[in-house]
Amino acid sequence: MKAFLFKIYMLLFMVLVVFFIVVIWNVTFGHIVHEYYERQKVNDITALKGSNEQEVEKSTFEKVILESDERVKNYLGYKILEETRIKGHFHHIGFDIGPDKRSYCVKCHGDIPHDAVKEIRAFLNMHTFFVGCQTCHIKLEGKNKTGVFKWYNRMSGEIVDSPVKTARPGTYKAKIIPFERVNGQLQRIDNDERIAFALEYSKREKTLTEGQKSRAIKLIHKLVSKKPVQCEECHQKDNPLLPFEAIGYPKERVDSITSTEVVGMIKNYTKFYMPKMLTPEEAKKK
Amino acid sequence: MSLKIALKNYFILFLPAITIMLFMPATSFSADIGNCLLCHKYPGISRVDEEGKLKLFYVNEDIFNNSVHAKVKCDGCHTDIKEIPHKHAIKVDCLVECHIIEPASKKKFSHKDVQTFINKSVHGVIDNKGKEKKFKEDFPTCKSCHDNPLYRPISFFKRVRPGISEQSLGRCRVCHKSEDFIYRSYNHVTTRLHPLNIAGVCAKCHNDLALVTRHGLSTKAVYSYGETFHGKAASFLDERIPNCLDCHVSKGESVHQMLTHKDPNASTSEQNKGKICTTIDCHPSASPKLAKYGVHSEFNLTQSPAQYFFTVFFIVLTGGTLLPLMVIIFLDIVRRFFPNASIGGRK
Repeated sequence: MKAFLFKIYMLLFMVLVVFFIVVIWNVTFGHIVHEYYERQKVNDITALKGSNEQEVEKSTFEKVILESDERVKNYLGYKILEETRIKGHFHHIGFDIGPDKRSYCVKCHGDIPHDAVKEIRAFLNMHTFFVGCQTCHIKLEGKNKTGVFKWYNRMSGEIVDSPVKTARPGTYKAKIIPFERVNGQLQRIDNDERIAFALEYSKREKTLTEGQKSRAIKLIHKLVSKKPVQCEECHQKDNPLLPFEAIGYPKERVDSITSTEVVGMIKNYTKFYMPKMLTPEEAKKK
Repeated sequence: MSLKIALKNYFILFLPAITIMLFMPATSFSADIGNCLLCHKYPGISRVDEEGKLKLFYVNEDIFNNSVHAKVKCDGCHTDIKEIPHKHAIKVDCLVECHIIEPASKKKFSHKDVQTFINKSVHGVIDNKGKEKKFKEDFPTCKSCHDNPLYRPISFFKRVRPGISEQSLGRCRVCHKSEDFIYRSYNHVTTRLHPLNIAGVCAKCHNDLALVTRHGLSTKAVYSYGETFHGKAASFLDERIPNCLDCHVSKGESVHQMLTHKDPNASTSEQNKGKICTTIDCHPSASPKLAKYGVHSEFNLTQSPAQYFFTVFFIVLTGGTLLPLMVIIFLDIVRRFFPNASIGGRK
């Protein structure tokens, strides 16, 4: 036992020594190597400067997509406000929502997916933050209609209690998902089987033939309705599609969502833009 | 009814109203008269534009109400928005006259003067001869440096803790009666950026190697600042150390009027440089020669040969002694694990 403990001790000591070697290398000779490469970069840019041309921005994936998720800290004395920096954005964001790890739709479409209808795309993306894609894009009608919706946690994917009363509007770390009836049992529409199928497609996409891809895409989107849920189907006093009270909205929030102010604004938008909303493809062409 | 009773009745009548006003949350003082937050309070209100850039239209009400623009109405800056639903909003012009009345002049407030200072500074796009400078895209606009400045109240009393100084507020209350006015004025006057935030703002450009090289600047200024004693202290959130503006702007001048060191009026010019360190707030008893040390020295033979050789000496000394030492310790541990091991059968 004593020998075993001694070996463990020595092993840990060995790891510590390796750690120190790495640290000392980085602050001494590694520093020189880093500086050498920095100098090389300067020389390259200086050469471009001589020709009086601005360095051509390299549109690498890393530069355009990954580097754009910069973080910034605001030191306020009594607290540090850390947030995402969006270049050119004036107002502070102030908090992080976190990614939706459950949704298999966002794996391909992203979490700011709406773009086709110029006038209302920002509103639709706003809803994407707390309404699951299937809530609007899969219309369960007739005998398939259950009228059951629940909240799921964006990170864990688990069904959770309504966050509406505990957070500011739209800042929930949860989304609404519809439930369907399978063999008499209620189950969430984004069940594990569908997620597994979509993920399998995503993993094997490169190895599939064009025909196989078309079939897979068709099957993944099998339930998607041609015409999604329209704004006024929820934003109405009489029998809205989402059972607001059942999913935890207090009366004053329900009144606000279905208020004349909101409904009137939607009417104003839809009055002007309804034709395009109904035919997004046409809007795209324009 | 006597005057005393009448006053008592008035007091009882207005007490609930006064109480409500005192304890009203900050959000109630919002400048959102147009009810823009009906939509813009939702963090997801966004889109990706044709250039692939994320456009976020969200306004965090709590944070906005603790910013220097809290009293400016939305349409004070977004002047083109006159109705709801509105069309695509045009880019905000920071020089526009907003709806705030500047208390001293009683005129509508504008940032136009700032632009005047910028034009005279190294950050202006037009040079002394009236010509456009090279690489004009690199020069900063308002939003290159500023997001919405947040109130950052500093307690000056006894330097114990940051935050609002109740003692200061007490003095304000002697004359001023409106709590809202006192709170905002106090915050407005005491707010300034933390040294690390100022360095962060300058770093956006001055740590960009490509930009620094394009403009023939001698150093990645914020990086080299970070290597100094002042920079290290700033990274430990020390507020007393100098930030970029303390040295690069003459005392009492607008922070936007940053002049090139070749300009005799610049704080960093040869004539004025000596005064930077010896200011009463920093090292008043120091010799003006103190300012001659290389504040922005980099590990660069051409730029700072003395520092370069000094650094090389210490790198060799540190690396040359500690690395072999660590390797020997490592090999010694290996031997303890395998006491009988040998290479090529040697014992």
